[in-house]
Amino acid sequence: MSQIPVILIFLPVLTALFIYLFKWRHMHLLALLTQTGMTILAIVYFLHFKDQFEATHIILGGWSDVRIGISLANDGLSMAFIFLTLFMWWSVLTYLYRFGKTEHTFLFFLMFLQGVFLGLLQSNDLFNLFVFFELTTIIVTILIAYKKTGESFRAAIYYLLLNTSGVLLFLIAIVMLYNLYGTINIRVLSEVIHTHADTTILKFAYVLMMTGISVKAALFPVFTWLPKAHGVAQSAISALLSGLIVKGGIYLFFRINFLFESAGLPYHNIFFILGLLTALSGIIFALAQKNIKLMLAYSTVSQIGLIIMGLSSPDITTFYGGVLHTFNHALFKALLFLGAGVIIAVYRTKKLDEIRGVFRTMPIISVMMIIGMLAITGMPFFNGYISKSIIKYGFEDSVFRTLALYLVNIGTTTLFIKMSHIFFGPKMLSYPMKHRQQNITLLLLALACLVFGNFYVEIMDAFFGIDYAHITRISLGGLLDYGITVIIGILIYLYVLKKDVKLVKGIREFKISFETANILFIALLTVLTFYFVIL
Amino acid sequence: MSRKILLVAMFAVLFGVFATSMIELETLFNTYGKTYFLEHGYAETGASNLVTAILLDYRLFDSLFEAGILLIAVSGVIWISKHDVEEKNAKFMIDKYKTPDLFITFARLVYPLMLAFGFYVIINGHISPGGGFQGGAIVATAILILYYIDANKETNIGLIVTVEKILYLLIVLMASISIITQGAFFTNFFNPSADADLKAIYLVLLNVLIGFKVALGLWTIFTAFLKEGR
Amino acid sequence: MNPILTFIVILIGFYGLATSNNIIKSVFSVTIIESGVILLFLNLGNLEGGAIPILNDQVSYIVDPLPQALMITTIVIGSTVTALALMLCIKIFHHYGTVEWKEVLGRKDVKS
Repeated sequence: MSQIPVILIFLPVLTALFIYLFKWRHMHLLALLTQTGMTILAIVYFLHFKDQFEATHIILGGWSDVRIGISLANDGLSMAFIFLTLFMWWSVLTYLYRFGKTEHTFLFFLMFLQGVFLGLLQSNDLFNLFVFFELTTIIVTILIAYKKTGESFRAAIYYLLLNTSGVLLFLIAIVMLYNLYGTINIRVLSEVIHTHADTTILKFAYVLMMTGISVKAALFPVFTWLPKAHGVAQSAISALLSGLIVKGGIYLFFRINFLFESAGLPYHNIFFILGLLTALSGIIFALAQKNIKLMLAYSTVSQIGLIIMGLSSPDITTFYGGVLHTFNHALFKALLFLGAGVIIAVYRTKKLDEIRGVFRTMPIISVMMIIGMLAITGMPFFNGYISKSIIKYGFEDSVFRTLALYLVNIGTTTLFIKMSHIFFGPKMLSYPMKHRQQNITLLLLALACLVFGNFYVEIMDAFFGIDYAHITRISLGGLLDYGITVIIGILIYLYVLKKDVKLVKGIREFKISFETANILFIALLTVLTFYFVIL
Repeated sequence: MSRKILLVAMFAVLFGVFATSMIELETLFNTYGKTYFLEHGYAETGASNLVTAILLDYRLFDSLFEAGILLIAVSGVIWISKHDVEEKNAKFMIDKYKTPDLFITFARLVYPLMLAFGFYVIINGHISPGGGFQGGAIVATAILILYYIDANKETNIGLIVTVEKILYLLIVLMASISIITQGAFFTNFFNPSADADLKAIYLVLLNVLIGFKVALGLWTIFTAFLKEGR
Repeated sequence: MNPILTFIVILIGFYGLATSNNIIKSVFSVTIIESGVILLFLNLGNLEGGAIPILNDQVSYIVDPLPQALMITTIVIGSTVTALALMLCIKIFHHYGTVEWKEVLGRKDVKS
């Protein structure tokens, strides 16, 4: 029973190898079978250890000394992320059902990535974390380059080099911690970390780790790889990237913050500012785009900013609001990306101006997309509203924070008002193909959005034991807020975006070169060093 | 220019902080891990080379994914190097330069020696410097010398990749036998209190498997690059 | 003093990343950073000195074996990253006819 984490990691890896070795016709069924098995195992494991997460700590190799060797451990957060991972892979595998029939290599990388990601979530060892971190980077690079167009190659190498240099910073921090404490086991470290709390080396190690993670989590100003990668990858991969892989960075963000918690580093304010900057810059770039995939990609950046704003809060309920938003964002952004993927496949273009009449051509997909849009803009009864309300509730004391939240929300609303133009217009005459099993995937995701929008109290209580009964599903204030946001959004759209003023054009064509991206990366490192070490 | 000055200024700050922390470290240095390995390493794993002890026993889980990274990279490089999309600027170079005769003669002389040295390093990984990863790299280098002798040498990549994948499966299988005998994943399948010679069987077997896997993986990657050059 | 000097190697790598306009140079810069990190690990393991971590009757004081074992993993990871990046470089050259970041990133693809 306690060894289930290892099986969860190796089952998809072995399945991937089998798919690669025997390229039979029905190999994608094997992937679905594995997926079913893993889901059952994860549920059994969760039910067994639900009330005693301390007992999930296993040392691989059975060594008696915790400080030696690698160990795996789970808690409510990692279990919740495991279920999210399984769910996301379910949606991607069903979405790619036809594609996966022939593309065995693709399925191989996809399944291997799942094992690696599950390892990343459960690992309790810093160096092991680094290995999984880098392995994710490499597999995602290959998946981005999978289409083998010039564009995908350049996005892939941009992603690979930037992320690798970030991960190497993480490695420097590992050796510092090892030499300070004589172990790299996260649980042991988090218990003893306060013994050297005031030293420069500990603070510098924290800064190095956080900078490395920022690249992976696409924080300001090192998010430049994200739109490039999302723009060229297949829609399913984009959905996976923004739904989950970027969340890997966010997962590490709070894992490392937990690790350093007893050292008492003042990270709350600086990461709130960084989150705000991420959110604002993401939404500004998103509003200027005319390519629907790029719009969605930059919107991911801004939502990550929002999540970091929630996660950096010292208040535990607001923190879990950020966690909940991570899940909600994964659901509705995957829904939007996959829906957009179908639309792009039918219309053969990514340009917003050329896609019209989606509602009359594909009514089912349009309804799903609209559910996704309502969820991301924060309509009551949908999941986005809940997590945004929790974060808003936590920021009530500070006018600045509440205003910042409203600003981001107005931007998001405007963006999706702009995007909703694809639904209007006459029917496309020749509707080339059917997308039946893709409809199922979208339906699944849309239902999940509704479930998280209505049964959040039970879900949060089961995983984290946090009571959110004070957040109501619907309130007059919430509806009023939403209405006002929509009206402001429509006004901005009509008077600024529709006319395509010079400023918007300038932002759209604003490009950051690779060198500048690296200078920004080093600048982030220096600023964090100044904040944490020197000040 | 201004950005270079900015860069150097930022580097100066980072360097200063790093230097301070390293000076601090000299007093705070913790040797827990080192003493543990010195005292228990040989008794628990049966490997007098402590690096091998860590790679193949204490942190075997890492090594499995280390081999996994190589596996992924091999498949990735092969996938990316396949030409099935139109490429305008692809110019295929023919080997214009003939390898000098002297080099060929010496390569023929050195090739068996390198191969033998590679195998030596693999097999003796638990008692002397070396191990599967290092020895595998040496074996791969030896094989690559063959390409200098005969540039038109044809290799069946498909077969090598299949063998490599099977080897990886074997490594994972071998590492998890201990769940049956010891009740824990990824350690020696003999009891920790067993004789060191007995435990060496496991170490040598695993080293050999890893060595072959690494050699085949590096060979494939090199062949993929060579094809690009042709 | 040695660990401090390794940081210079790392900084040289970052300088290369931040100034070079050539993709291959960027790949090498990442490799340089990685070499710096490996040197740092080995130096810190050797901070107090000692024999190589292979036990026999005479050895009683060794360098830390853990950083050395970790670095084997890092070297393998680094070599795979380099291989993948160089293969991508070749492909980028085939598609765009150049390996300059500015030209490669500035080029607009026909399809999108």
